[in-house]
Amino acid sequence: MEERIVEFTNVLRRNGVRVSLSENMDAFRALGLVGIRDPHLFRNALRTTLVKRSSDVKPFEELFDFFFLGIGQAIDALDRRIMEELGLTPSQFQEMLEQIQKLLKQMEGDLSELTRALLTGNRGELERLLREAASQEAETGAADSFRLTPYTRMAARLGLDRVHTDVERFKGMLQMLAESGEDLQNVIRYLDERMRDLNRLLREIIQQEQRKRGVEPNDLSQRSSFADKSFSFYTEDDIRRMNEAVARLAQRLKNRLSVRRKKAARGRFNVKATLRRNLQYGGVPFHIEVDRRKKTKPQVMILCDISDSVLNASRFMLQFVYSVQDLYSKVRSFVFVSEIGEVTRLFEEHEIHHAVEAALKGDVIDVFSHSNFGRAFELFYKNYFPAVSGKTTVLIIGDGRNNYNRPNEWVLKEIQQKAKQLIWLNPESRMTWGVGDSEMPRYALHCDVAEECRSINQLYKVVDLIAP
Amino acid sequence: MFQSVDEVVTGLGGQSYICNKNVATVVYLGTRLQKPILVEGPAGVGKTELGKVLAGALGMELIRLQCYEGLDEAKALYEWEYAKQLLYTQILKDKIGEVLHGTQTLQQAVDCIANQDGVFFSDRFLLPRPLLKALLAERPSVLLIDEVDKSDAEFEAFLLEVLSDFQITVPEIGTLKAKHIPLVVLTSNNSREMSDALKRRCLHLYLDFPDSEREMEIIKLKVPGVGEQLAKEVVRLLHRLRKLDLKKTPSISESLDWVKALTLLNIKQLDSEIVEQTLSTLMKYEADIRKAHQELKAYIAERKARQGTSTGDGDKDHLH
Repeated sequence: MEERIVEFTNVLRRNGVRVSLSENMDAFRALGLVGIRDPHLFRNALRTTLVKRSSDVKPFEELFDFFFLGIGQAIDALDRRIMEELGLTPSQFQEMLEQIQKLLKQMEGDLSELTRALLTGNRGELERLLREAASQEAETGAADSFRLTPYTRMAARLGLDRVHTDVERFKGMLQMLAESGEDLQNVIRYLDERMRDLNRLLREIIQQEQRKRGVEPNDLSQRSSFADKSFSFYTEDDIRRMNEAVARLAQRLKNRLSVRRKKAARGRFNVKATLRRNLQYGGVPFHIEVDRRKKTKPQVMILCDISDSVLNASRFMLQFVYSVQDLYSKVRSFVFVSEIGEVTRLFEEHEIHHAVEAALKGDVIDVFSHSNFGRAFELFYKNYFPAVSGKTTVLIIGDGRNNYNRPNEWVLKEIQQKAKQLIWLNPESRMTWGVGDSEMPRYALHCDVAEECRSINQLYKVVDLIAP
Repeated sequence: MFQSVDEVVTGLGGQSYICNKNVATVVYLGTRLQKPILVEGPAGVGKTELGKVLAGALGMELIRLQCYEGLDEAKALYEWEYAKQLLYTQILKDKIGEVLHGTQTLQQAVDCIANQDGVFFSDRFLLPRPLLKALLAERPSVLLIDEVDKSDAEFEAFLLEVLSDFQITVPEIGTLKAKHIPLVVLTSNNSREMSDALKRRCLHLYLDFPDSEREMEIIKLKVPGVGEQLAKEVVRLLHRLRKLDLKKTPSISESLDWVKALTLLNIKQLDSEIVEQTLSTLMKYEADIRKAHQELKAYIAERKARQGTSTGDGDKDHLH
């Protein structure tokens, strides 16, 4: 049993749950107390000792099912989780599966075996297919090719790309139906969840197979490179991880702030004030008086380009803007394409994802026009320039691609003269600045800082600029 | 001390705190392994309450430390009372004179005073704050460190020493070791992620909003006069409201307030008018109230439809 648990912690670690040695020891001590007979207690004991972040609970539950209960039961557990996620009772879930079956029949062209088994919730079939592929892999796998990863080999064996296209096709059909008024939200969400589950199952099976053969699976490399990855290459998975990163970034900002407050509280020793205050004790200094440094909260105005050309980056940037606004009281946020609109209120009142989506969807400004920085700047000057003061940091996020419109760089000049600093973050590589319709060199002239900001690591540096 | 997980459930139940097996397991392990318990979860699910009832169930003293930004050792651990020390020396001037009476040289006088060191540097002048109080308590106690996420990162680092070794070094006196290891409960609202180092030293418990049945139990327990029908409706509506994207999700304590208000007004069944009038006990933001109104209308319409088709059967239906 001990070995099993150590192995389990290794699996957790490989899936991004941090488990330290001392936590592992705690788990053993806890199991010594509650025993391993009651599966419920066993699970609870492991969870409370090994998992410390609420975001890790879900992976833990899934891996636990998989590790201690095997493939078949893991599939069962995934079903249950999907039900919970969608808020369905078992009978409703069954109904939905039947509905899907009907819809699948309507669809033209065949589906692969795996797609059918996966979508209709046919557990027996799904398990059989996975096991078959796994045992084939075990027999021939390593000899097959030295360039492909086991995952791609398994994926090819199972026809995973086929499943992807099938599901996409199916989704397309659903979307058409949904437009004609049918309520298919749940079904679509179900599909997404299912695809994710399949991927996860697959990885886990591969790892187990490899472990049997004594090969240590290795996917640690992903984590570190993520921070350096350019926004525009983000995949769905990355976007999810990005949320976590934004939270960390905001934390970093917050920490800087609290350190600064500490310094302000200490201040410099003031002899005169101390003497005066302690006259009543005959000059014995009970109370120390210090010159308090003034706490200056940063006043930030953020202008974020949300045109199509920088879509991935601006999604991330808006999340960042949202977090910044959450931290500081004096932040005003704007989005622009060719018009400019304020989103401060929107961000205040709504939860982060909703707010960001609303801003990108065009609730505030028309997002389908062509970007026109010049016009946006002019409008900003007209409507909001009086709000810029000597304490304001103005932060512009955009690629500076102006579609050959009038650049109006005089606005930036004005801002720079009046504001404390003007920072421009460009999600494009510095090499391409000034190429084509990019007005970046012209704009950069008037910025105190113009930085390329294409990944989280580069954004970290910017944080230091805002809250020095 | 608890002997089994079931004992925890009954023990806390005796303090009118309803908990499930997950919670009970963590509490049991916490008491037996003598490890701090870090409780996380949304506001108002009974995190702080858990610490309080734990003290009640075990018959221990509850020592509470409320964290906030800027909390430092002087307020959490101990303070050295310079003023009192100085005052004592002033008052005892004559006595000191007597002690020094026989001495001839300055050297002798200093030695003489040095012998009396203990008088000036004793725990007499040590003003214990919650942490020190918990360590020095004569009997085992429950130390509740509330909203630890509100404190600074520095304070959190400082807590590490206390929580892992249960001892504190006071420069004036020396190292003080805990007489009894207190049962520590930390609560966090997740306004920031706690450091891994702190989490490593704790058992982790995530408290979430209770399911419908458990919430019914809680409401019935805490508001004895509540009608069965009303409680059911309230719980059903609450669960719908919690699914909305609200600025502040209604907590258990707020829902209890609401039920109390409704019971006081002698309401037997929810209708849109009465809910509108009392919604302010449940919702604290204007935007939330607006959203809740819409949900409420949908709910009442649905109920009407249900009652229309099958009179009386509606109650057995589940939510969703």
